[in-house]
Amino acid sequence: MKARKKIKLFIQGFLTFNILWYFFSIIVNMRVLPSPIDIYLNMGSLYGEELYIHVLVSLYRVVSGLGISLVLGISIGLLMAYSKRWSKMLNPLVYFTYPIPKTALLPVVMLLFGLGDGSKIIILVLILVFQILVAVRDAALNIPSETYDSIKSLGASKLQILWNITLPAILPELLTTLRVSIGTALSILFFAEGYGTQYGIGYYILDAWTRIDYIGMYAGILIMSLLGFTMFILIDILEEVICKWKA
Amino acid sequence: MLEINNLSVSYNSENKPVDALGPISMQIESGDIYAIIGPSGCGKSTLLHVLSGIIKGYSRQVLLDGQELNPKKHDVGFIPQNFGLLPWKKVQENCLLSLKIKGKAIDSAANERIEYILNKLNIHSLIDRYPNKLSGGQKQRVAIARAFIMNPDLLLMDEPFSALDALTREEAQELFIDIWNQYKTTTVFVTHSIEEAIYMGKKIVIMSHCPGTIVEIIHNPLFNTENLRQNEEYLKLSTYIRSIIKKGWKI
Repeated sequence: MKARKKIKLFIQGFLTFNILWYFFSIIVNMRVLPSPIDIYLNMGSLYGEELYIHVLVSLYRVVSGLGISLVLGISIGLLMAYSKRWSKMLNPLVYFTYPIPKTALLPVVMLLFGLGDGSKIIILVLILVFQILVAVRDAALNIPSETYDSIKSLGASKLQILWNITLPAILPELLTTLRVSIGTALSILFFAEGYGTQYGIGYYILDAWTRIDYIGMYAGILIMSLLGFTMFILIDILEEVICKWKA
Repeated sequence: MLEINNLSVSYNSENKPVDALGPISMQIESGDIYAIIGPSGCGKSTLLHVLSGIIKGYSRQVLLDGQELNPKKHDVGFIPQNFGLLPWKKVQENCLLSLKIKGKAIDSAANERIEYILNKLNIHSLIDRYPNKLSGGQKQRVAIARAFIMNPDLLLMDEPFSALDALTREEAQELFIDIWNQYKTTTVFVTHSIEEAIYMGKKIVIMSHCPGTIVEIIHNPLFNTENLRQNEEYLKLSTYIRSIIKKGWKI
């Protein structure tokens, strides 16, 4: 039922978007804005250009960046929620660094960590970790204290409390943050892949742009959107499976 | 036996210590069921939180069978006002959580007990549901099942029936007494209903205003009587309790 609704939503959105695009391309009537039909017809021929390598490289960067950010963000966030001392120590730093536009640090990160994948993943982590950390900390602080009562009266260990109460309680908010993070991660990725690499879907788009290959450029943009969309759907599925109790 | 020796609890509010409870002392024989009744804010819930180990640092004043009360060593069942079911666990997982936390194996004896209790409380058909798909009365029965499944040394209940409507409440109380008679678990429960105290408490403890102390402990001859409300004694006892409460609560 829910899945069917989502598929319907997807198809509606897809059609509306493409119809708008189509009419817009007719009105503008420039090579810079080809009609969607040209792009879709050309998608097949892109396979030979080893587009999938670009996709895989980008996927590797995004997934590693998200993974590392999740591990760091969840552990530091929980540490700050449950330990007053750690919270006192880290809170000023988080508060101060949160609004700094960390994409501006890309040159610094590249100088420090080289041009390779490392620096791209690090810049992703630098940005994502704070979002996740703050969301996890606030979600954990918002768990009503009565929720812990029953399990405390059973003499549960800290690890048992973490596993049975804290993690399931913050999971819905964590997934929401993850959704936002994926959007952010892909935007940063596009930016980061403009430098010091010959692979990645971001590079592919920029490269097609400089070669004035507009069909290829749009195909790249579509592929990148598709990447984001697939990850969104995966999170939806994940939510259905592990947050069944919320339904 | 549960011994409470000179227990008083205070907490800090805006850097000033505030007395919340006590000093109180009482001795509860094994297999007894005590109803604690008192005005709101008198520290009834605080007392239960100390006994259940949720508030720490007072364990020395509380002995269970001669040993300092410790939720890690003793099996303490606790049914809070909101039933305390974890929304992300199915009924079955909620029921078995206590055994899991305590690291107890679910052997054939435990299984038999679980089956018996689930059937008795008529929640066998609900085991695959999540708590948000249950009615208040069903949640209550799951909470009772969870408490009895672990076979606790001490059972604590914080206004366990107050969230239910009148009819469901009576049914739940009957079910509880029925199953309690089976296991005779040492029980302390808090209530603000005189009727509930008389129906379910072998002894009734009346507490004073904050910081709560014991005004009187009444032996309740009407415990476990059927058709309680038609009994003449019932009216007398409840009037008596009411009069003490009025006196005690004015102090």
